[in-house]
Amino acid sequence: MAADSDSRPVTIRVEAVEHTFGGDDPAHHVRALDRISLEVFHGEMLCLIGPSGCGKSTLLNVIGGMFTPSSGRALIDGEPITRPMPAKIAYMFQESTLLPWATVLENIMVGLEFQGVAKPEREPRARVALATVNLQDFAAHFPDQLSGGMKQRVSLARALSLGTEILLMDEPFASLDEQTRMVFGEDLSQMLATTRKTIVFVTHSLAEAVFLADRVAVFTARPGSIKEIMTIDEPHPRGPDFMTTDRFARLRNSLYAQLRDEIRKAMREQQVPSTID
Amino acid sequence: MNATAASILRFLARPVVSQLAFVILAMLLWEVAARHSTDELFTSPPSAVFAAAGDLFDDKGVMRAVVTTLWELGLSFLLAVVFGLAVGVGVGASGMTYRSLYPIILLAYAIPQITILPLFVLYFGPGPASKVAFGFSHGIFPIIVNVVAGLRTVPTGLLRSAYSMGATKQQVFRRITFPHLVPSFFTGMRLGMTATLLGVLLSELYVSSGGIGYYTELYTESFEPHNLFALTGMLALMAVFLNEVVRRAEIRHSRWR
Amino acid sequence: MNQTTTSRLIQAGFVAAVLLTWVLVTSTGLINPIFLPNPVDVMEELGQMIADGSLWADLTITLFELVLAYTAAVVSGTLIGFAVSTTRWSTRVFEPLFAAFFAIPIIVFYPLTVLYFGLGPESKIVHGGMFGFFPIALNTITGFATVDRRLLLLAASMGASPKQRFVRILFPAALPIMITGYRMGFILTFLSIIGSESIASLAGLGHRIVWYAEALETPKMFAYIVIVVLLATLLNTIVAALELRRRGA
Repeated sequence: MAADSDSRPVTIRVEAVEHTFGGDDPAHHVRALDRISLEVFHGEMLCLIGPSGCGKSTLLNVIGGMFTPSSGRALIDGEPITRPMPAKIAYMFQESTLLPWATVLENIMVGLEFQGVAKPEREPRARVALATVNLQDFAAHFPDQLSGGMKQRVSLARALSLGTEILLMDEPFASLDEQTRMVFGEDLSQMLATTRKTIVFVTHSLAEAVFLADRVAVFTARPGSIKEIMTIDEPHPRGPDFMTTDRFARLRNSLYAQLRDEIRKAMREQQVPSTID
Repeated sequence: MNATAASILRFLARPVVSQLAFVILAMLLWEVAARHSTDELFTSPPSAVFAAAGDLFDDKGVMRAVVTTLWELGLSFLLAVVFGLAVGVGVGASGMTYRSLYPIILLAYAIPQITILPLFVLYFGPGPASKVAFGFSHGIFPIIVNVVAGLRTVPTGLLRSAYSMGATKQQVFRRITFPHLVPSFFTGMRLGMTATLLGVLLSELYVSSGGIGYYTELYTESFEPHNLFALTGMLALMAVFLNEVVRRAEIRHSRWR
Repeated sequence: MNQTTTSRLIQAGFVAAVLLTWVLVTSTGLINPIFLPNPVDVMEELGQMIADGSLWADLTITLFELVLAYTAAVVSGTLIGFAVSTTRWSTRVFEPLFAAFFAIPIIVFYPLTVLYFGLGPESKIVHGGMFGFFPIALNTITGFATVDRRLLLLAASMGASPKQRFVRILFPAALPIMITGYRMGFILTFLSIIGSESIASLAGLGHRIVWYAEALETPKMFAYIVIVVLLATLLNTIVAALELRRRGA
């Protein structure tokens, strides 16, 4: 990857991150990440896409401070990350991580409590966050009473309520059906246009990456490294019209062309019995 | 007319009604069979059993035995809950304690406790102490096992997400581990209640020098089936009632599951 | 040292400490041998029982009761459970009734059983069968009631006859849950037979434990406890192995 000549301020910097799984026994070592360096600019949406097992989620966890790599480091605003930084980073996971015994509103308030927000502020902020995802009428519902899409909207509201500069999203729409994903994508694009958060987004979906990202980082098969960074030069908010343009189809196809060989490589790899479980 | 008949049928088909009808029908059959049987001694009709139950309530000795059994139950259950929770939390506290201590708990749980019932009487005497101890030894294990399960099965996603939001260890315990433990704890209490009942009643029946065991043996040897039926029915109803109490408590505290 | 080794060491240490304490407190006379016999004496009694054949009479009786009671529980539990599971209505009526009964410690009915069937093996067989019946019937109902509807639709779409539907879909789908019931039923039948032998009986392993306890011949009593624990472990292992093989098939 060439040195970036961009003059935009860098929010997240990943420096030569490398990771090997497998503990003490060298025979069981699996190289997951291969010297990855990367910049995420302020206010940009960066998608990480790649074959299964390429380490994109591992990289996301390194950026989130949830995971210490074998070597290399990630920095936020020039400061190395060694542990979760709830004041700066909010997370959204693939599976619902809402507490099943707490109501929608309580779930958001618990997040604020964890983050250290003073008690009187929690409820008003939680209500504002719920309103931004149009779920104010469901404040008293329990997660099990909501559909998968609504649950993820609550998770998004919880992440937004934390008021962080950075949002890390690990395949947040992976378990939703396609129609819900599309509506969700539009909402997210709308949000990007108004709030300008810095977002790193892991996905498996080509269309989702092209639709949402300002830049897409394409990963190689394991050990993951960055094969190519593709720029999607289209202002947010993006609507359904964007999806029907020729440019969208071309971008999607060229993204697939980049990924195709890597996916085949990853599939061949998976046929060999893995040495780790 | 037809509509009424249909609605009566619908009413009868409701499970609760059918269950009651089934029980009443069984009692009626039993009553008829008992009255027409040549050997009434062995087929106590329900009417005779109910009459006997009335007499038992007036019998101070029987009532004292039943009340003693009740408080033995209460005490052994209380001890089982307190110690079961404490041991369960100790074992489930960390991966290390779990891997080291849990197999020991399971080993102790696997020994058929009924074989050592005479030892309890030998150590604690034929009085209430041995029954409380034996009931406790039955009740504590399901509680330990369920408390450990509740602590060890907190979804990692919830923990990861909490730590990502900056939760401290105490906050994770208060907001995640503890609420996740509550339903398992109540399940443990329900199973513990069933087990404690078994333990206490086993030892009560085993010791025939006093308590309920004395009366069951007395009624058996003197061939008083009405009384034996009435006493058995009383104990069974007591068991059903106590089970229902803990089952409701469990449902109330595990709504989210 | 890795974590597994550490936890194994802690476990081995615990068992060793228990055995060592047992030997120490009994050899030093710290505890009256009537309360806790010396393990060496127990082993001698055990050898004696096997050598002179006094063990076999009681062992045979207990096993005889167990076989008959368990067979009765399996046959009645499976047939009645299946019959109940055939309609939604009967499932909703009888399943809660059985479950309520199952929650009662069935041991309370034992004196009645003795009254009707006497002190001999018959009362143990009836009582053990009753204890084993409920988990088997309940699991049979659950097994058949929770068969994946899509499998039945699939069978119907391919034109399966009622017999094929049962043999190829219903039965294999219900079997794993039923097997769990058979295993629970076995354990309960075994325990209830030992228990009923302890409470009122003329012979059997449970009877012998109580007999020697009352005679304060604790080494002999412990020898019988060892036999029952070994028997329970052995039978459990056999049942678990059968269960695994069925599941594998």
